[in-house]
Amino acid sequence: MRLTRRGFLGGAAAAALGGGGIYELVDQLGSAPARPAVEPAGMPAEQHLLDLVTTHSEGIEVVVPPLHSAVVTARLQNVSDLRHAQQQLEDVLRRIDSRYALTPAGLGVTVAWGQPYFDTYVPAQAKSHLPHDRRAQKSVLPPTRRFPSDPKSTILETNDVAVLLRSDRLEHIDAARTEIFALPFFTVTSIRRGFAGGGFEGGQSLPKKMAVAAGVPGADLIPDGSELFLGFTSTQKAGLGPGTIANHETLGYVDLRSDYFRNGTHMHLSHINEDLEAWYLNFDFDERVLTAFRPGMTNVRQGTQTVAQGPPQVSPEAELVRQFHKTGRFGHSASIQATSRLLQDTVGEDGTHYPKGTAIPQRADFNTLDNPFAFSIDPKRDGVSKEPAAGVHFVVFNPSGDDFERNRLAMDGVLPGGKQLTVPPRNRAQGFNSVLTTTHRQNFLVPPRRHRSFPLVEL
Amino acid sequence: MRVTAAAGLVAIALGVLAQGALGAPKASCPAAWAKGWQALADKVAAPVYCPTWMPNPLDAHIGGQYQDIYSVGKDRSYLVSFLEHGDLGSGDVHVNFRGYPGRSTIPTCPGQVGDAKVPCFADPVGHMTANGIRATVYQVNQGADQWHVLLLWHHRGSLYTVSQHVINPYDSATRVKKNLQHLLQSLVLVEPAR
Repeated sequence: MRLTRRGFLGGAAAAALGGGGIYELVDQLGSAPARPAVEPAGMPAEQHLLDLVTTHSEGIEVVVPPLHSAVVTARLQNVSDLRHAQQQLEDVLRRIDSRYALTPAGLGVTVAWGQPYFDTYVPAQAKSHLPHDRRAQKSVLPPTRRFPSDPKSTILETNDVAVLLRSDRLEHIDAARTEIFALPFFTVTSIRRGFAGGGFEGGQSLPKKMAVAAGVPGADLIPDGSELFLGFTSTQKAGLGPGTIANHETLGYVDLRSDYFRNGTHMHLSHINEDLEAWYLNFDFDERVLTAFRPGMTNVRQGTQTVAQGPPQVSPEAELVRQFHKTGRFGHSASIQATSRLLQDTVGEDGTHYPKGTAIPQRADFNTLDNPFAFSIDPKRDGVSKEPAAGVHFVVFNPSGDDFERNRLAMDGVLPGGKQLTVPPRNRAQGFNSVLTTTHRQNFLVPPRRHRSFPLVEL
Repeated sequence: MRVTAAAGLVAIALGVLAQGALGAPKASCPAAWAKGWQALADKVAAPVYCPTWMPNPLDAHIGGQYQDIYSVGKDRSYLVSFLEHGDLGSGDVHVNFRGYPGRSTIPTCPGQVGDAKVPCFADPVGHMTANGIRATVYQVNQGADQWHVLLLWHHRGSLYTVSQHVINPYDSATRVKKNLQHLLQSLVLVEPAR
């Protein structure tokens, strides 16, 4: 059989994901957390929801993330019959659904579509049906942009589709990836892999073990039980949006228009390098706390990893501004909370009551040793290196792209209404930014499960 | 220079041997380096610590090819540093020795943000004991010790430190701590001349 270029690239991508490399250590170094064995009664309408158990870390309820995550991005090629392609992909997804429970013990699959897909394949339908952000007066899927603290080198990607795969079992992710991307119309553009969790029951966490095993700079400085490389627990329950809060329709930020995308959401995907040596050698514990959370937070016991971030700890914008004028700096959480938490008690569209201070975004980020990807179709453009590097594949669901942008701008000190906490970009007064470098970004729309395969082509 | 380095290595070997030999006389500052450390002790009118071992390729010859900073303050505090700056990305080897005669508290340094002062040595992460010295390991340090792992201890009411930069070829805190343990083991006290 003659090897086509596409086949060859697919083969390389398969090797990148199939040959687990450093990530196989996850299975050796970490054990799967206890998960409920019951199958959900039915698949939820939302693709982005995954049932996760909670545990307690330093007295605070935290969500136990899946051990493994992967994101595969792709472009569509030679799709002559969109309806047929839609059916083919849906058939594969249904087969996968029938094989695995929708839990980390099984597999979570989220199919998200980028602006190039809507522009190229269903432009007329998209014009009529894509939800509209009421606050921003624009589509819920805005063009991908850079933010003030992003370097000029940040690549704004143009993938047609991204598939997020989450499981405690690497082989489930590998099997689903192989099946989905064997479809003839996909050309894989990148594979991104990583891990999270461990350490809640004591001992070394998985990120610490993985970083040390890979020998990345600063690995030996990561606190032993740290859930993520930067030393603080980021999955505390009160810091993650509950239930369907990140759906387009829940908080009323979005006009669904035709209702086609009800139960859908917006997904932002980025890759961020983390300078662990700078974080642990230049910031003492107290400064790491006020950088990660907020200035004035002086009562945190040395070595604490899980710092309460529930509604009572939310920093109102006025306090954020006051502390900034007093100290010349602002913290990561405090700045984002100005936009990522509900400013008042809110009743969702379905009648659910969300108290003031409730988090809106639902994060699904995971640490990685990819530099920046495990596979790229264009390694030169993407700056791919085989040398492992500490980083995070940041995945977050928000009701709209504008909602994500508000949070990300706040992280840079740009608050809603135009107020600006003026600090030079990437200055250490500006939260985490001085130790983070974003290499890639793209916005996606996550349709509801019923329309996850080639949305809008049937219209 | 090579001759000096070789002499230093012999002196180091002899020093280590001397320390290891039961009942042998305590090691002394290597002959090639002793003059400079004695002059420093005399200048600050307080004991100073001379190393008998340095991470490759450095020596601790004050006035020698690797000496970088030699600074004595009005308060008699001193900073003596040794640096090998590698070209073509081969990295740096950088070791600092400090002493604060008559001072036992950690000094403060300008902070990175705003006007607030911060401790010059922060984030204690453990202890190392060797050579009769119990030192605290500090991980976040300021000024010339930024990006260094640092050992701090007290002797007769004075504060002393030695630190090394975490950078290629000693590119992890773990490697640097091993060097610092070796350095701590190798220190000999040089008293000021009466």
